[in-house]
Amino acid sequence: MGEEAVPARPGAPERKDGGRPETSAPHPRRAPVPALSRLLPALLVLGLGSWGLSLPLTDFRSMDDYGLLDRLPVTFYASLVILTAGFLVALRRAGTSPGWPLVYCVGLLVALKAAPAVLYDSVRYPWASKHDAVVDTILGAGELRPHAALSGNMSAYDQWPGFFTLNAALVRAFGVESTAVYLNWAPIVLGLILLPVLVLLYRTFTEDWRLVWTAVWIFQLANWVGQDYLAPQGLAYVLHLTVLAVVLRHFVRPGSAGRLRDRAALDPAAAAVPPSTTTRQRAVGVLILSPLILAVNAVHQLTPVMLCVVLAALCLTRRYRNLGLLAVTGLIMLAWNLTMGRPLFLETLGTLKDSLGRLTQNSRAGYTGQLTGPGPELAGRAGIAMALAVVLFAGIAVLARRRLTRGALPLLLASAAPLPLFAVNDYGGEMLFRVYLFGLPGAAFFAAAALVPAAGGARRSRAAVTRRRVTAVALPAALLALTAGFLPAYYGKDAMYYTPPAETDLVVRAIDGMPAGGLLLATSGSFPQALHRYDDVEHWWFCEQDPAENKRMLADPARYLADRIPRGVTAQVVLTRTQDIYTSGEGLLPAGGFTVLRDRLKASPLFRTVEEHPYGIVLVHTPPTTTPGGAP
Amino acid sequence: MTIDPTAPASRTRRHGARAAVAASGWLALAVTLLPAGFPLRWVPVLLFVCLGPGLALLHPQPRGLRPGARLEAFALAAPLSLALAALTATFLFLVGGFSVPAFLVPLAAFTTVATFLPGLPLPAATRGAVAPADAESFLSRERGPGGGR
Repeated sequence: MGEEAVPARPGAPERKDGGRPETSAPHPRRAPVPALSRLLPALLVLGLGSWGLSLPLTDFRSMDDYGLLDRLPVTFYASLVILTAGFLVALRRAGTSPGWPLVYCVGLLVALKAAPAVLYDSVRYPWASKHDAVVDTILGAGELRPHAALSGNMSAYDQWPGFFTLNAALVRAFGVESTAVYLNWAPIVLGLILLPVLVLLYRTFTEDWRLVWTAVWIFQLANWVGQDYLAPQGLAYVLHLTVLAVVLRHFVRPGSAGRLRDRAALDPAAAAVPPSTTTRQRAVGVLILSPLILAVNAVHQLTPVMLCVVLAALCLTRRYRNLGLLAVTGLIMLAWNLTMGRPLFLETLGTLKDSLGRLTQNSRAGYTGQLTGPGPELAGRAGIAMALAVVLFAGIAVLARRRLTRGALPLLLASAAPLPLFAVNDYGGEMLFRVYLFGLPGAAFFAAAALVPAAGGARRSRAAVTRRRVTAVALPAALLALTAGFLPAYYGKDAMYYTPPAETDLVVRAIDGMPAGGLLLATSGSFPQALHRYDDVEHWWFCEQDPAENKRMLADPARYLADRIPRGVTAQVVLTRTQDIYTSGEGLLPAGGFTVLRDRLKASPLFRTVEEHPYGIVLVHTPPTTTPGGAP
Repeated sequence: MTIDPTAPASRTRRHGARAAVAASGWLALAVTLLPAGFPLRWVPVLLFVCLGPGLALLHPQPRGLRPGARLEAFALAAPLSLALAALTATFLFLVGGFSVPAFLVPLAAFTTVATFLPGLPLPAATRGAVAPADAESFLSRERGPGGGR
């Protein structure tokens, strides 16, 4: 049980290639390569330059089946190849010049995710405008109303309001009208904040800078799930990983590291286990972490659950068996759920008995339909392929580099811990993506370990030479393949993510014209400003249900809807281009179903057209006096 | 490379950074007096809200930060700052007392005070993360040579 007295060696010089220092006789120091010094900035300028040049050539307004994919010019794709090449060159000197891989990682972040922010003249992701609406509403009310019981569970945003109140404060401090002004830049800002946290996390388990930066690179490529937009999950995720990093670095129990204190028992790339801390030190650590844990709870409802699950998984190791921290985290979550989050918490508890154990149902992606159309289908396939590839590479490293795995076991456990949540709840069809997101930091680390062989300690055996030759080809090939997978997964559905400003204006006009207490009907909530005035207006997304029921609805949509509109309520139907793309792409309506719906509603005497454009139509319900009432 | 934390240049640089962090909140507050939508409002406000309180809490160690601890202080500064900002804003909206000064003044005051207090006693911030395993109080321990992680 006692900790072996083999101290780590702080300050030992690092190899130029970023690997661990040699334990045997060092190789002769290589002469500096001046060509490399010029190559790195040249490739960076070339990569970002061709990315910049590609933007004016991108005709995003005419996006069709493949979203942004077939609208991005060749120079965009070339820029990613050039940045990958530059990164691979920078990796060779990662140990002595970690600045270059960092610069390239930031370059990749910009190249991968900044294009919509620069190009789009409206909010990317229609549902992001929901968050804009929440901020507007909070600012309008000047207070939080967690128990207001608003339509569509919109009060949940006041029950976990941290992200929205922060943005409300920023909107006022910036002096702008709404978050829409900066909303599309959220992936870049959150990515920049997350980057050093990831580096910190990875440096806890490896001293090989090449492995650190490759893991960061893979993380960025594999993070296609689109949870880094202006949403609570993005901020809560950063806070979650921050808590995890602090725990992994400062909560090692004394006498628990055992053989891991012995350098000979570690993988050459592995870092020494962080120094152990006393009970008092860990208690101070819990105090320091408490505001972060409280903020996680204030910002998001699912992330605290993930945090508790991860901390519980860490308790399975002797190194991180911190039951006090787990108890404090659990108590903070419980306290929040029973006070601010009480309504939704109790409602979710009530439905748990139905969802518990339904693994296949809880791990479904999206609502109920199947992705339809070339772009969405390709995006879906690419996403699955990416996840499988990362897991495959990670699995190879876990099996092939067992000594590294032994050292980084806490990271592996932390990444695998959210998996059992499939057995609990489907989180509105999102659980699959969230489990993947929370598992990604560890998966990216081990995937990188499969592609970056240990640099130090190994003798020049034939097997080692072969392994290095294989990985010399495998690393660039894998990074390029992941890049190729990221693009359809992230941009393949942009036709439903981009909404022309005219469509937004139409929706705002329609909702502004409704009286308080009116009912807004639309096929789904995935259209811009769908929740504008959500505290005044009720809404019913009538196609967000079983697709079979939607087929029945299409037989006589006017009667179907009219029968379910409560008597005496002013109801408007808003059908827009984005809804058309979304309902067909997500398989909620059959091919041509949206047009049938639109035409039949227009022709029905139960609805009157108020406004019609190529990008949308607004119809008002005109009930005959004999129409029976119902509840949506 | 070892930097002598007691060297005058190093000390001056540290004091300069400390003063900049201490003043950052008040600068952010001052720029909110500019007309709404004025681009100059963005940078000081964003930098302060994202980094100010966190840097104030983590950075001011008596002898500066070790290289590895610099990474930690830098990585944790933004999440810590955003957590404090989110909690402050939530509290203000909860009591119906939100305004820009009500949001920025407490954060700016907190940052100024925290800047002149010792940094948070995270072990790596005070002496680098890599050290012999037997636990000695990190509150009293001197830093070892070299960087941590």
